[in-house]
Amino acid sequence: MSQASERLVPRTPIPPSTRRVAVGEQLIAMVSPLLLIALWEGLVRIRILDARFFPAPSSIVGTFAGLIASGELLLHAGASLKRVLLGFLVGGVPALTLGLAMGLSRWARAALNPIISATYPIPKSAILPLVMLIFGLGDASKVVLVAIGVFYLVLINTMAGVLNIQPIFLDVGRNFGASRLQVFRTIALPGALPMIFAGLRLGLGIGLILIVIAEIVGARSGIGYMIWQAWTIFQVERMYVGLVVIAILGWLAALILDAVERALIPWSPRR
Amino acid sequence: MDKIVLSGLTKVFPTGYGPVAALSSVNLVVREGEFFVLLGPSGCGKTTLVRIMAGLERRTSGEMTIARTDAGKPLTAMVFQEDSVFPWMTVEENIGYGLWIQGVPRPVIARTVSLYLEKVGLTRFARAYPFQLSGGMKKRTSVARAFAADPEVLLMDEPFGELDEQTRVLLQAELVKIWDENRKTVVFITHSIDEAVVLADRILVMTAAPGRVKAVVEVPFPRPRQAYEMRADPAYGRLIHHLWGLLREEVLKAKAEEAAAYVPGI
Repeated sequence: MSQASERLVPRTPIPPSTRRVAVGEQLIAMVSPLLLIALWEGLVRIRILDARFFPAPSSIVGTFAGLIASGELLLHAGASLKRVLLGFLVGGVPALTLGLAMGLSRWARAALNPIISATYPIPKSAILPLVMLIFGLGDASKVVLVAIGVFYLVLINTMAGVLNIQPIFLDVGRNFGASRLQVFRTIALPGALPMIFAGLRLGLGIGLILIVIAEIVGARSGIGYMIWQAWTIFQVERMYVGLVVIAILGWLAALILDAVERALIPWSPRR
Repeated sequence: MDKIVLSGLTKVFPTGYGPVAALSSVNLVVREGEFFVLLGPSGCGKTTLVRIMAGLERRTSGEMTIARTDAGKPLTAMVFQEDSVFPWMTVEENIGYGLWIQGVPRPVIARTVSLYLEKVGLTRFARAYPFQLSGGMKKRTSVARAFAADPEVLLMDEPFGELDEQTRVLLQAELVKIWDENRKTVVFITHSIDEAVVLADRILVMTAAPGRVKAVVEVPFPRPRQAYEMRADPAYGRLIHHLWGLLREEVLKAKAEEAAAYVPGI
């Protein structure tokens, strides 16, 4: 038939000039942070920056290496990571199910939305004392705090994702006589997936914030504990190492989320 | 044989300004195996009528029966005006969707899907996702999805309305070709008089809102039709002229009502 003039869209070759610009952009993106670090190092060496507050990057790297060698860093990073992951699971799975149900059912929405809207604005850090009172000083209270933070963001985004599905797709399901479960599986879930991932990404950010707060307040391990302990003994380099590790953890987790998203949403046109 | 019988079908929508009648006691018989076209001014309730047939809208009063010949088949399958191809399914998954919902075994689905992929010329794009397709290819996918489900009645709500003229003429020809192979009962909405004459066995002209039956016009051209030659036939011109005469009053009436309903400040 007649698709001589029609073809898959992403076959367009990229003109060389555009490619040069893209390579240039990547180069600038890599060089600029390195320049900033070099500037920092230089300013500390000529004593314009106070090394007590802004230790030279070279000495931070030294402390970093020492902490890795002693196994201390791995212990703390591992502890934080475990709590965040468990919190993600404990908060994310019920949020996903409830969010889908609330998106699909007017009744579920009417029953639960007021509770969600009223409790969502409470700062999660404000609940920490209560959470510690109930779940104790161990890992459980940290996991629960992360779970609460993740829960709201995933729930709200999942519900919005289902509500934003164009009604036409639900009409197609209804016209073919799809059951509720079939609609759930073939329309609501895939239709909401992009928003669900937006919720997970936000949840990751809040999860890292909450884990550090919880570990600063009461813990015997974790990156937050490490930063706080370094403060009490005025080991500024260790504090910086903690910040770098948190940044790396967040970045790695975002990379993993991106990869999972690409695998689960092959239909989305990507830049 | 009568396939669809509507008697006294009425649809009233409650709105903020009080109830508004979309359809007012529509009486209509669509015959088995007929290509039936609904023609009417925009806003006359054509879409509402077809959505009632599709089970997507409830009727306020009146009767509707669609004759079943096979209890295993879906009653209707609809091709929508908007893009209704699932973006998260490949072309082949989209085409097989209706069969999958019915619980048809996978090998049977695969066979039917490849048959319709062939018919609409999308075999090479079986595994492509909709974002990789042109508008015309998406329309072919949704037409194939409706045919593949093998319903008692096919419903098409201005399926080619959003396409450019050339693609539209091509798709009309392809649709007629596929339809000729199994002669399923089709109810097809359009506001294009030319499209109505090229496709239809009979054309129902609807009144301005609330929609009622104004006239039913037979299209005397034999099948298989050559749309290109048909358009050169003097009988084609006369039919277009006749239909436009029927429609013109209604279009003017609809315009006048729109103007009267306009209250500044609302």
